[in-house]
Amino acid sequence: MSLITLRDIRKIYRMGDQEVRALDGVDLTVGDGEFVAIMGPSGSGKSTLMHILGCLDAPTSGTYHLAGEEVSAMDDIELARIRNRMIGFVFQSFNLLPSYTALENVELPMVYGGIPNRRKRAEVALERVGLANRMDHRPNELSGGQQQRVAIARAIAGEPRILFADEPTGNVSTQMGEEIMQIFQELSDQGITIALVTHEAHIARHALRLVQVQDGHIVADSPIRRRILAREWLETPENLTTGILEL
Amino acid sequence: MTPLDTFRFAWRALRDNRMRSGLTMLGVIIGVAAVVAAVAVGQGAAASVTNSVGQLGNNLLYIVPANPRLGPGEPSGLTQTLKPSDAEAILARCANTVSRVCPMVRSSVLVKAGNQNWRTTVNGATPSFLVVNNFTISLGRQLNQSDEDARSRVVVLGKTVVESLFGSKNANCVGLEVALNRVRFKVVGVLGEKGTNTFGENQDDMVLIPLNTALYRVLNQKHVSAISVECRSSDTIDLAQEQIISLLRRRHRLSPPFPDNDDFTVLSQAQLLKIMQTITGVLTILLASIAGISLTVGGIGIMNIMLVSVTERTREIGIRKALGATEANIRAQFLIESALLSIAGGILGVLFGGGIALIAARISKWNITPTLESVLLAVGVSAGIGIFFGYWPARKAAKLHPIEALRRE
Repeated sequence: MSLITLRDIRKIYRMGDQEVRALDGVDLTVGDGEFVAIMGPSGSGKSTLMHILGCLDAPTSGTYHLAGEEVSAMDDIELARIRNRMIGFVFQSFNLLPSYTALENVELPMVYGGIPNRRKRAEVALERVGLANRMDHRPNELSGGQQQRVAIARAIAGEPRILFADEPTGNVSTQMGEEIMQIFQELSDQGITIALVTHEAHIARHALRLVQVQDGHIVADSPIRRRILAREWLETPENLTTGILEL
Repeated sequence: MTPLDTFRFAWRALRDNRMRSGLTMLGVIIGVAAVVAAVAVGQGAAASVTNSVGQLGNNLLYIVPANPRLGPGEPSGLTQTLKPSDAEAILARCANTVSRVCPMVRSSVLVKAGNQNWRTTVNGATPSFLVVNNFTISLGRQLNQSDEDARSRVVVLGKTVVESLFGSKNANCVGLEVALNRVRFKVVGVLGEKGTNTFGENQDDMVLIPLNTALYRVLNQKHVSAISVECRSSDTIDLAQEQIISLLRRRHRLSPPFPDNDDFTVLSQAQLLKIMQTITGVLTILLASIAGISLTVGGIGIMNIMLVSVTERTREIGIRKALGATEANIRAQFLIESALLSIAGGILGVLFGGGIALIAARISKWNITPTLESVLLAVGVSAGIGIFFGYWPARKAAKLHPIEALRRE
């Protein structure tokens, strides 16, 4: 059963006289429980695709069905409800509210959703990402990796069906990035659907399926054969020094 | 999301920016305080005027000199048209309506006792002065007709003068000598304490001497500053006024047109009251409009800060929208923020303005109490201002596009 169905999605920006086709006819189907990495160079349209998938932006044309509902025809209130209930979002720059504690940040989407027991759920989510002892810290008292884990806790606390992550490891160290990918793999194993945008092949190889975007088109779509398991990778310390380019 | 949650978010945002919230509120605090204090002082003044003019008795008429070329606003000291004989004539010719007359002169005088000096007002008046103006004698005796006839150098002192010259309000100074502009007088009595009058004048800061003594021994003049007339009944006061006007026109040999050529003005208590109420009414309106302007400025201050806040918190708004906040959620939060600012400012302003009114009451001895209406009005208006001036920024915040908002640093 497909959770996401995109049909001929186009996103066209106007910049003065020029027309920028960020997405130019994208068709994509993602099934329930899949773990998809979306890869592409800068300006390929992968972030635009992610924003449309995450209901943060509307396509210029085309149709988007999410769990059987047509998102492209929704108004502000319905879109807010979809973002709140169905989707968890993890950003490259964390996007935590600086004056709120970790716990309050995790509670935030559940406040908008009117979800009961949100304090308890937020605590469980923070324990889940290994921050049980950092709940009352504010973002500026946490490292980048810890902030990103708070953001993941915030995304999963309301138990969404899909997790979207836009370069989630972009602003953290290699070690932290790997730990974050380990959390994603565990979530995927529990059955949550994940779509992740990255430009690093290494990160993409943690997923199960790779979609490659270039110039607003999907140019390749295939399963990942040699998948990296973060848990194993972290057990091999010399991995941290690999990937250094030797000229 | 419940309204309580929205309220909590708004409260939190204000608390996170304490300095800014405080400064923004200051505009409203000052505006509301101004409204409350201005209305309280204005109404206090009006009540005080009504009360003290009322105390004068509704059967009194005042005759003051007027310069026909300059109108009634002319300083009476420069207009020399009323004479003591006018007062005698009024009492003699209008006896059916008039019971007492009191011609008087007023001037500034330097009083000396020993090495103590005090500048005060001297009232030279006939013995009826005390009755007509509701003065009492607390010590010694009052002035009488034989003092008047003999142009005696006797003086009755007000309490403030006694205190300034002899160190205490209750000093027994009867029988002592004082000098008025270097003329020696014997103190024969002390006036009872009376306090401040309608015009904010301390009625205890004066000395009283016989009219003839004042005219011929101190001031060397023949004209009087005013004549108070006590009528037999308040019902015949209009008749008395007409009689006096025609009598004085004849005595002064005035020719028409009237009242343009009148060299005097006859005022009744009702007319005085009307004049004073007009003055205090204008005063209240003036104060209230200044207060209203400052309240509006305070409201614009709120709008200004909320607009800055929306710009500065664009990213926060983006985050909230990405996490599932609807436009209505965002708008409500910002509206509550500005409403909270202005209502809190309004409440603090009421307390502050009430404090000012109380201090003003202490100083002026007027009965100034902030009215419930002005408090409700000020708080209501400030809440309204918060919502009115907060709506545009709130709408601006709500309409932000999540992606564009998130991109902003």
